Amino acid sequence: MTAPKRRLLGALAAGTLALGLATSAIAEDKTKIGFIYPSPVGDVGWAYRLDEGRKAVEAHFGDKVETFAVENVPEGPDAARVMNQMAAQGADIIMIGSFGYMNDGLKLAAQKPDIDFMHASGYKTADNFSNFQTRNYESSYIAGMAAGDVSKSGVLGVVAAYPIPEVVGIINTFALGAQRTNPDITVKVVWLNSWFNPSKAQESARSLIAQDADVIFSLYQDTPSVVTAAEEEGVYVVNTSSDMKKYAPNHLLASMTTDWGPYFIDRVQKSMDGNYDGLAYWGGMADGAVGVVSLSPDLTKEDMAEIDSVIAEMKAGTFHPMTGPIVDQDGEEKLAAGESIDDDSMRGIDWLVKGVETRIPN
Amino acid sequence: MTETLIFIVAGTLAATVPLLFAALGELVAEKSGMLNLGVEGMMATGAAAGFVAAVVTGSHTLGFLAGAVTACLLSCVYAILTTIFLANQVASGLAVGVLGLGVSAAIGKNYEGTTVDPLAELNLGPLSDIPVIGEALFEHDIMVYLAIVAAIIVWYVLQRTKLGLIIRAVGESPSSAHALGYPVTLVRGACVLFGGAMAGIGGAYLSTAYTPLWAEGMVAGRGWIVVALIVFGSWMVHRVALGAYLFGAVSLLELSIQGLGLDIPSQILSASPYIITIIVLAVISRNPALILLNSPVSLGQTFKASN
Repeated sequence: MTAPKRRLLGALAAGTLALGLATSAIAEDKTKIGFIYPSPVGDVGWAYRLDEGRKAVEAHFGDKVETFAVENVPEGPDAARVMNQMAAQGADIIMIGSFGYMNDGLKLAAQKPDIDFMHASGYKTADNFSNFQTRNYESSYIAGMAAGDVSKSGVLGVVAAYPIPEVVGIINTFALGAQRTNPDITVKVVWLNSWFNPSKAQESARSLIAQDADVIFSLYQDTPSVVTAAEEEGVYVVNTSSDMKKYAPNHLLASMTTDWGPYFIDRVQKSMDGNYDGLAYWGGMADGAVGVVSLSPDLTKEDMAEIDSVIAEMKAGTFHPMTGPIVDQDGEEKLAAGESIDDDSMRGIDWLVKGVETRIPN
Repeated sequence: MTETLIFIVAGTLAATVPLLFAALGELVAEKSGMLNLGVEGMMATGAAAGFVAAVVTGSHTLGFLAGAVTACLLSCVYAILTTIFLANQVASGLAVGVLGLGVSAAIGKNYEGTTVDPLAELNLGPLSDIPVIGEALFEHDIMVYLAIVAAIIVWYVLQRTKLGLIIRAVGESPSSAHALGYPVTLVRGACVLFGGAMAGIGGAYLSTAYTPLWAEGMVAGRGWIVVALIVFGSWMVHRVALGAYLFGAVSLLELSIQGLGLDIPSQILSASPYIITIIVLAVISRNPALILLNSPVSLGQTFKASN
């Protein structure tokens, strides 16, 4: 039921955008960059991280760029309309921040070869259409190590949205990281089957806690509902996308963060130089695109030393969290000793490692 | 296992509060013949306003008050449209619902992502110390119990008082009620405002107590569940309340089953609260005569005094 209202907001936003652009038409030599977000920016979560990337671009290029953002744009015709509007008003680069914007963006990219596109989390590319993702499975391995260190019950709980490959991969490395520091770890997952439902996320966290989980992983939840519930119940919590220390000052175990700044800046520079390409970017620790912050002071010196050494290996590119021997839930060997998963298999991963008790719904 | 059981029982009592408040309000409105489909928007507005008030003043009571008043104002729009301008009830309700979602986004805009301390638990002394039962039933905030009290009061007023008789008469046959000298428009308007206030309280509970934060869209369809509960509960307070608790219980049971690792597809589990609630209410409400007796005959029809 939010769709009609969002459409209205989107239209309004596009209208104000038109006004804003009309008044600034004098500054013609600036590179104009439009950003489209699927949700409100707020001060945590996905759109917030993208907007931090926008700010990094502004800070880096200063007067040479002009950025504008439209938030809360639903996937589908509304997104297409906002993109067209931006194109009509002379945008040189458009960042489209949701998976479902992909086909509309590609269509427009074909019609307007002089506009460069950056697309979040898709899989298609073109000469002027590049996509970007982060290797969050790297930071979740680190978070998993910390979880294995502090867990007393040996049970970890994950609150996850949908069983898409990216989420499955993150749960796998979270479990593997935890098993590295505590081999007996088991992991329970609750699938919300919804991208956004803070109350249900909170209920899921509590149901996992009632089932002995003493570390909760808030996986791609845009609100702090899981984090605050964990703080209230006195169990550790790990969260994704942005730091939520202020919501769980005592029980935040680690925050996995993403930083789009370096990627956006690189892309904008390429576009300015006229050598944009259809790069499929998958940034990890080594690129400074993902990281772990706010590690709990409850971790011992030894714990931290091990974590730091693994981070150093990831940064050097010498360690892949999905390195065999790895067996799946049914005990079947998926990766032989010493064998690391390749990027294509990781992108499409559809099996969970041993120790994860919940199955992938199919 | 005991932990899980406690989680489900205790969780159900709390999860049902927003649904029950909103449902009781909407039930009264519908009993007077007013089909206000804007519950989702009114709950959202109540949630946003209640949250902002609770953050600013630090008082949950003022939060609930603000939620009730704001949602009540929103329902005024509906009442004016349908009783004075005689606009179509379905269209007006939907319009008010959409408006409410927009208003809630505007009110909560600067509070996105902030949190507030949850409502304190009531101290029930020795009752809370009973093992298992104490934790499941007697460690809750006051609204959990007030929701039950509200259900009893609404039932009593509707079924046992003259006021209830007037409301039902207006809902059955506004022209007859008018001929008898009852102020039909006034009664209907008041019932709509009551519905708005109750939806606002339900919404405020969601944002200040249940999930103590504001996020746009956090009502997440509860307003629509409320509308469905009333129909499937055949406009009877106890059945609507039963449906609300059942819905809450199955939603939590679903999450626990997932954690247990049983091999049931989670999509089916996610759909189960809706399916089971509908089936149970449909089965207990299968007597068509009873439904006919309880559904307000003039529901959804505008009324204009003929002279």
